[in-house]
Order: sequence, then C-alpha cells, then structure tokens
Amino acid sequence: MIALLQRSAAQARYVLIGSFALLFGFQLVIVGQAAEIERTQSFSRLAELLPGFLQRGLGSRAMLLATFKGTVAFGYFHPVVCVLLSIVAIYVMTEPAHEVEAGLVDLELARSVPRHRLLTRSVILAAAAIAAAVVLMAAGTSAGGRAFTDGSLDMLSVDTRARLLVHLAGVAACCGAFGLLVAVWSRRWMTAFTTAALTTVVMYLVDFLAIGWRPMRAVAWISPFHYYPALSVLSGDAPDARNLTILYSAAAVFTVLAYWRWQRRDL
Amino acid sequence: MSEPAAIRAEGLTKYYGSVIGIEDLSFEVARGEVYGFLGANGAGKTTTIRLLLDLLRPSRGRIAVLGVDCQRQSLEARRLTGYLPGDLPIYPDLSARDYLSYLSRLDSRAVDPRYLRYLLARFDVSDVDQRRRLREQSHGMKQKIGIIQALMTRPPVAILDEPTAGLDPLMVQAFRETVAELRQGGETTVFLSSHVLAEVESTCDRIGLVRGGRLVTTGTIEDIKRDATRRVTVIFCRPVTAPERTPPGVAVAAASAAEWVLDVRGPLGPLLEFLAGQPVRDLKVEPFRLEDYIARFYGEAVTK
Repeated sequence: MIALLQRSAAQARYVLIGSFALLFGFQLVIVGQAAEIERTQSFSRLAELLPGFLQRGLGSRAMLLATFKGTVAFGYFHPVVCVLLSIVAIYVMTEPAHEVEAGLVDLELARSVPRHRLLTRSVILAAAAIAAAVVLMAAGTSAGGRAFTDGSLDMLSVDTRARLLVHLAGVAACCGAFGLLVAVWSRRWMTAFTTAALTTVVMYLVDFLAIGWRPMRAVAWISPFHYYPALSVLSGDAPDARNLTILYSAAAVFTVLAYWRWQRRDL
Repeated sequence: MSEPAAIRAEGLTKYYGSVIGIEDLSFEVARGEVYGFLGANGAGKTTTIRLLLDLLRPSRGRIAVLGVDCQRQSLEARRLTGYLPGDLPIYPDLSARDYLSYLSRLDSRAVDPRYLRYLLARFDVSDVDQRRRLREQSHGMKQKIGIIQALMTRPPVAILDEPTAGLDPLMVQAFRETVAELRQGGETTVFLSSHVLAEVESTCDRIGLVRGGRLVTTGTIEDIKRDATRRVTVIFCRPVTAPERTPPGVAVAAASAAEWVLDVRGPLGPLLEFLAGQPVRDLKVEPFRLEDYIARFYGEAVTK
C-alpha cells in the first residue's frame, strides 16, 4: 500500500502542490482585501453592490458578506475554492481509470495486489489531499490575519473556521467519491474526469441558481453544495449535523458502490 | 496423486457482449515446459492471458495455475506468476531502476538482488540505462526492462506476451538463452505468446494454436513436424504420365510430363517405394516451416 500511495502522490504532486498553493494564497489575498475594505470603511458600499437576487434569496444573511468576518469566510465558499477542491478530489479519485487506460493495472494486478487496494489507495490519497488543503486554507487565513490586520478586527473564530471547512471537505469528499464511481465504470481517464468535473460544476450552478430562482429549489437537494449553506453556518443557524451526515453518507455510498463495481468488472 | 499442471484451462469461455473472446478453450501446460501460444491478432491469446491473471472474469469455465484457481484464489494464483504484457505500460517519469524497485515492492515474492543483477547484465542494461527515465528509453530497452520485471522474482510460471518485440538479434539470442536456462532449471514454466514463429520453433517444447477463440491444434514441435505436410517435387529425366493413384499420405498438387509436385504427410518411405521404377532425375523436399503449417489453419500467409 505504501508503494502505491507514494507512486500516486508522486504522479499527482504538481497538481496537488499547485492547488494547495492556490488555496493558501487565495485565503491570504482575501484576508488582505477584507482588511483593506475595512480600513477604508467600504463595507457599506459593498453591501449596496450585492446583486438583488442574492439579497432576496439570502435575506438578512446576505449582509454577512458585507462584513470583515463574512468576507474572510467567503474564502471558504467562493465558487473557485469549492470547485477547485472538489476537482482536486476528483483528479485523485479517478486514477483507477487512468491505470486501466494506460495498462498499468495489468502490471500492478499481475502481482499479488488485491484489486480493492487500488481504490483504497485513491481514497486515502484523496482524503489526505482534502485534509491538507483545508488545513492550509485555515493556515492561510491565520497568516493573512497576522500579515494584514493589527488584531483589532473581528476575525473568524477557530470553531467557525472548522465548521466551514468540515462542510467544504464534505462537499469535496462527495464529489471525489462520485468521481471514483464514474472512474470504475470507465476505461478512459479523460471521460471519467470530465464527467465528474462537469457534474460538479453543474451541481454548483444548480445550488447557486436555487438562491434566486424558485423552480430550481425543487432540484437543489441533489447538489452537494446545497448541504454547505456557508452563510447559515457562519450565522450559526445551519443544521450542521444533518448536512454533514448527508454529505459524508453520500460519499460513503458512492465509495461502496465503486468498490462493488470494481470487484466485478473486467479490467 | 499427480502434481497439478502448471496451467490448466477447462472449457474457458469469455464473451464480450455478443463477440466471442474465447470459447471452450481447454489445454494443459506441464511444469517446467515452454509452451508457445500462437494465433493471429484477435484470436484470443491476450484474452486467455488476462483471464489467467484475473483481469477478466470468464463467462464460463475455469483456469488454474499450479492447481490454484485464477478467479477463486486470485491472489495466490498471481503470487505464482510473472507477467510481461504485450504492450509494456510504463511510468514515464521513473528511471528503469525505480520502475523495477517499485514493481518489486508490489510483489509478495522477494527479488534476489544477485539474480536481478544477472538479468540486467544478460540483457545488457547498463548502470547509465538504469538511471535514465523510461520516457527517454528506446522501445527495445523498455522491452528488456519488461522481460526483467517479469522474471526478477523467479516466478514458477512466467507469462510472456510477445517477449521479443522490438529486440535486436543479440537480445533475441539473450532471451532464447534465458528461456533455455529456465527450461534447464525445471522450476519455471514459460507460457509464451508470440507471432514470431522462428522464436516459437526455437524456444518452445509445445505449441497451441488459437483461431477465432478456439484451440485448433496443440502438440510438440516434433509432433507437428511429423504431422506437417511437406512439398516434394519429383523431376523426371523423360516424360511420364500423371499418377492415377498415390500412396497414403501423398496428394498431387500439380503434375506435368516432366515434374510432379506432391504434398506428403508423414514419412517419405511409401513415396520412395512408389517412385521405384520411375525415371526420376531429382527430388526436392522443402524443409518443414512452422509458418506454412500455421498458414494452413489460417488460409493465408503468416509473416515471419
């Protein structure tokens, strides 16, 4: 298992390091921006710039976005962050499809390596990548706080940060597990990756549009992003336990289905 | 009770939807034997090998390695095999040394460093070659690394798919010598799939020929030679009439007043007796060629 993990990590190193740097840097920049807006006392003007459909859809919670704390928290649910982390998880989880396509699975499984170990390797690596990413994001916020504020600003509490990041990790885990499920049905990595990544983007749009478009709310429940109501988490009125249970259970179900299929398929 | 065969397939069948991969394939490879598995592209050779490695699941039938069922006891069966794929997959960013090291870490059978060094030397893989990344290596060098990774754990059963593809004549010779050594040692069974008939003829004890997913013939090279039809041309010093009857095993391919062209199966004795008293000036006997024998099954030329 260690050999498989090391090999996969080495193959994904550039994507992982690049994404980690981007996610860390993004938090730094957003704290810097929030501090600048606070220093120039421009949050009231920012509130006016919020689109009407967002204000109507989010209600009073929309105003949280026009605060220092809300802007810093935005770094944890910005579309780029949510989609990037989910796509990193998908990238790692779709490796079995690449191994089938490239024939590497023949070399690995011609040896006494159990089939399921290739999936377990991907799950462990994806979990480690998600964990590392959220830790780096939290570190980025802390580093930004030290670099751009003088300590007088109302920074996000560690508890709130942790709750937001656990939700974000749940979304990424769910998308990654879906990627794994697509990968074990596929013979081509590009097909698996594109299918899972596009589905993730569509799911994000479904949840986003549901904020202001009533008919979309009927289907928003299928989107993992629906269970990451960041502003409600921020204001402390989100059903965290229910949302997290749904996100991590969906990830578990996708993963179990992937194992079931992988054990039975022709490689 | 006798020892189980190195490889035993019984009614092995694999369908890809409505397409036949292989159908009712049954054969046995004895321990220590070098078995050549022949067939045209799409005949079912690779399907058989992938069933043996449990990469594919059979539609029906079974296949076992040293008595271990390849599907039900997949891990144990794979512990007994070494495999060279027909198209060697590589990690382009790894050096040959790291590639072999990675694969040896996946193996439950330990690699004897002395044997590995021996194989590297035999296939002329220098220290510089070992340090170079696989993406920078020639096809032939990658093939040599592929052969080495398949044999480095001294597996009881080595499955080699097109082992000499891309090798230069010297390395083909090195491969033949390695197989000869394995045969001499008697501990390794070699299951070799190939299109190169000269290689099969020179290295294999027995061959099996698949066509359309079915085994059409199997036997030792000697059996096949005995069974094979040879072309004999009889040249006369004065005009003769075409033969009305021929001895058993002899068929007339063409006949003129000066020359008969005959296809002879089995020993030449009866033909020589038949020709006694005829004004024979010369006899030309074409030597046995495996490709001719195989072409008979395919009805087309087989490239050497």
